[in-house]
Amino acid sequence: MAGLTSSPEMRGQLAAIARVRWQLFVNGLRTIRGRLEVVARGIVFLMLTVAGLGGSFALGAAAWYFVSHGKVEWIAILLWPIFLFWQLFPVMASAFTENVDSSNLLRFPLSFPSYFLIRLVYGSLDPSTIIGSMWLVGMTLGIGIARRGLFFWAALVLIVFGMFNILFARMIFSWIERWLAQRRTREIMGAVFFVFLICFQFIGPLATRYSEHQHLDASGNASRVTAQVLHYERAFPPGLAAAAIAAGFHGAFVPALGTFAIGCAYALAMLWLLNVRLRAQYHGENLSEAAARRSSPKEKSALRLSWNISGIPGSMAAIVEKEVHYLSRSGPMLFTFVMPVIILLIFRLGPAGTPGRHSDFLSHAPDLAFPVGAAYALLILTNLVYNCFGADAVGMQFYYVSPVRFREILMGKNLTHALLLAGEVAAVWLAVCFMFRPPAVDVTVATVTGVAFAILLNLTAGNLLSLYTPKKIDYGTFGKQRASTTTVFASLGIQAAVFGLTAITLLIARLYGRIWIAALIFVILAGLAAIAYMFVLKRVDRIALDRRDAILVELCRA
Amino acid sequence: MDAPAIATQHLTRHFGDLIAVQDVNLSVAPGQFFGFLGPNGAGKSTTIKMLTGLLSASSGSIQILGLDLAQNPVEVKRQIGVVPEGMALFGRLTGAEYLNFVGRMYGLDRETAGKRTAELLDFMQLSDQPKALVTDYSHGMQKKLALAAAVIHGPRILFLDEPFEGVDAIASGTLKAMLQRMIARGATIFLTSHVLEIVERLCSHLAIIHRGRLVAQGSLEELRAGVEAQAAAALATTSPGEASSPVPGEKLTLEEIFLRIVGGTRRAEQELSWLG
Repeated sequence: MAGLTSSPEMRGQLAAIARVRWQLFVNGLRTIRGRLEVVARGIVFLMLTVAGLGGSFALGAAAWYFVSHGKVEWIAILLWPIFLFWQLFPVMASAFTENVDSSNLLRFPLSFPSYFLIRLVYGSLDPSTIIGSMWLVGMTLGIGIARRGLFFWAALVLIVFGMFNILFARMIFSWIERWLAQRRTREIMGAVFFVFLICFQFIGPLATRYSEHQHLDASGNASRVTAQVLHYERAFPPGLAAAAIAAGFHGAFVPALGTFAIGCAYALAMLWLLNVRLRAQYHGENLSEAAARRSSPKEKSALRLSWNISGIPGSMAAIVEKEVHYLSRSGPMLFTFVMPVIILLIFRLGPAGTPGRHSDFLSHAPDLAFPVGAAYALLILTNLVYNCFGADAVGMQFYYVSPVRFREILMGKNLTHALLLAGEVAAVWLAVCFMFRPPAVDVTVATVTGVAFAILLNLTAGNLLSLYTPKKIDYGTFGKQRASTTTVFASLGIQAAVFGLTAITLLIARLYGRIWIAALIFVILAGLAAIAYMFVLKRVDRIALDRRDAILVELCRA
Repeated sequence: MDAPAIATQHLTRHFGDLIAVQDVNLSVAPGQFFGFLGPNGAGKSTTIKMLTGLLSASSGSIQILGLDLAQNPVEVKRQIGVVPEGMALFGRLTGAEYLNFVGRMYGLDRETAGKRTAELLDFMQLSDQPKALVTDYSHGMQKKLALAAAVIHGPRILFLDEPFEGVDAIASGTLKAMLQRMIARGATIFLTSHVLEIVERLCSHLAIIHRGRLVAQGSLEELRAGVEAQAAAALATTSPGEASSPVPGEKLTLEEIFLRIVGGTRRAEQELSWLG
């Protein structure tokens, strides 16, 4: 690879790629949206610089403290968070991470080493690498200040550790890229990811619950568990790097070189795995979306009728059916819909859920669990309601050429979302009955009327925002369901208004000591919201026509 | 005499300072297979978008089957079928679900929509993968599905924007068969295409738009006669060898007519000599 980097052809290719990226950036500044994006990135860059320098100083000071106090092994405590940050930050903040599209590079006469280098270099210029490197530099300086003789050894070990992190992150990303290329694996990956997140949320409550049962011999357990954890963590790169520095500190050269060699082996393993992935891409790997599933002749010839929903026109029923199909095929959306029940479950399983504990407001006031769960169900639906054409993408063209008015289209979508919310609220009610106790009748009625008011208000605002600030989204991919920033801000305002009115209503009901009053006020508010809903609905056809060009440009873009 | 199936008066569309379509007066008689041609960026897609309600006109008017599009959008849309540039598909439905959906949106009852869906999927050879989502279809399959969706309600006029783009010979044959069947039943078809051989074979009437203006309109024979007359006039006013003229007895192809009208001939010094 070294020979190739000096070839004029490769240098020209790298320079051309750098130039085109700069031109793309400059061209992006032509639009207001592009300029705002640059401002936002500038703010993010400043924040990251502060995090990098601050973290570098803090970690350097901690490393200095551990070395100067002879607790060099504890450096692992610093390296593990760096490792986790380096690997998790690109996943959690994908908006800041540049992912090179290899298909664009492959049509050029690039050699594999050139391709590998481009993927590695451009993929590595992300915040996690820059910040992680700054932190490692800080640590190296801290160690060097504490003991000058250890500086070069620590620098070498931490350089290898940094290389491992870069290669590991690139390797993970290249494999994720491969899995995300197909719809089915995308959805499976998304589901696994969210299951992981759920499990993560359960760790705290379960650990606390477990420790309460084992309270008497807690101190003994803790030291035993710590010893076990330390034993295993040394098998991984952060632990190995810390062990190599510690061995160097103690003058144990053989163990130092041994652990260092294992660290190098980890880095080489990542290099090999990355090489496997990139070589497959380089050779023109074709990842088809189509899952060729054989169908039986019976399936092929079956006459498939659309849904029959009595009481509503055929076009609206078609919209409801289409929306349900879309939502049912979206892993992220399905997960979102079970979240209210899962949240209740987490509260129930949490340490505060234990009888006798005073911190669990849901356990002590089960009547609150139903309104809280219902409010959460409403909140998670707002993303759908406020950008209801986002997932239709180019399908939006069909609405404009079809003989159906936008009034009916929106009513169909609104009906789906309202039914979905009704189902969610019913599920929450059942979950509350099962996990706590059945909510009181007056609480149930007040909550249902409150939800009716809130959904009508949200649908009204949502219909307007769906036409004024639509944003193309993808139900099938995690992290691709975010509405436009304007919509998010407007949504926050509406929610603040809804919760403000709800709070005032509950305050009035509490003043009179009768929750029925709240239900009555909510019915009146729902009536007013219904009038507003009808008012807006009468105007949506005109708005959709007036905004036709802007809507289609946004939703039909590639 | 019947009202034209499609008629426009002074149809114009601006995008800021750019005039994409200017003062276009089209007239398409019922039952015609009408080809709308033009070089890239000439205004074809903009025109077809305006004719189908996907784009508003800056000025001018559009009548479809005698109805003003701006005044009666729903009535007009009931009678037309459209395959727009982006195909207007819903990617996360299966082919059958999508056709059923479109059928219901055009007012068909469940049974009719279901039956036509099955027939269309069969005709278009799309019934092999009933569970596959539209997003997983190949480009050619998506084109066939889009055409099936455009005809499910039996439209009187069909608008097609580049229906043969990216379609293989087999799929192209299926599409042509479908279109010819519609013409035989009296429907009007308005299509844009870059594939001039197909247009020449299918279309009875043509219009050519260039730099936003309609520069020719009529049957293929009328266009040919016009070009030949122009060439003869040019020949009479220039010295021999300066102007090219058709070989006597040989008919100009549509491609030649098109190039002569839009001035597509290239000067010798424009050739890329370094290509070897």
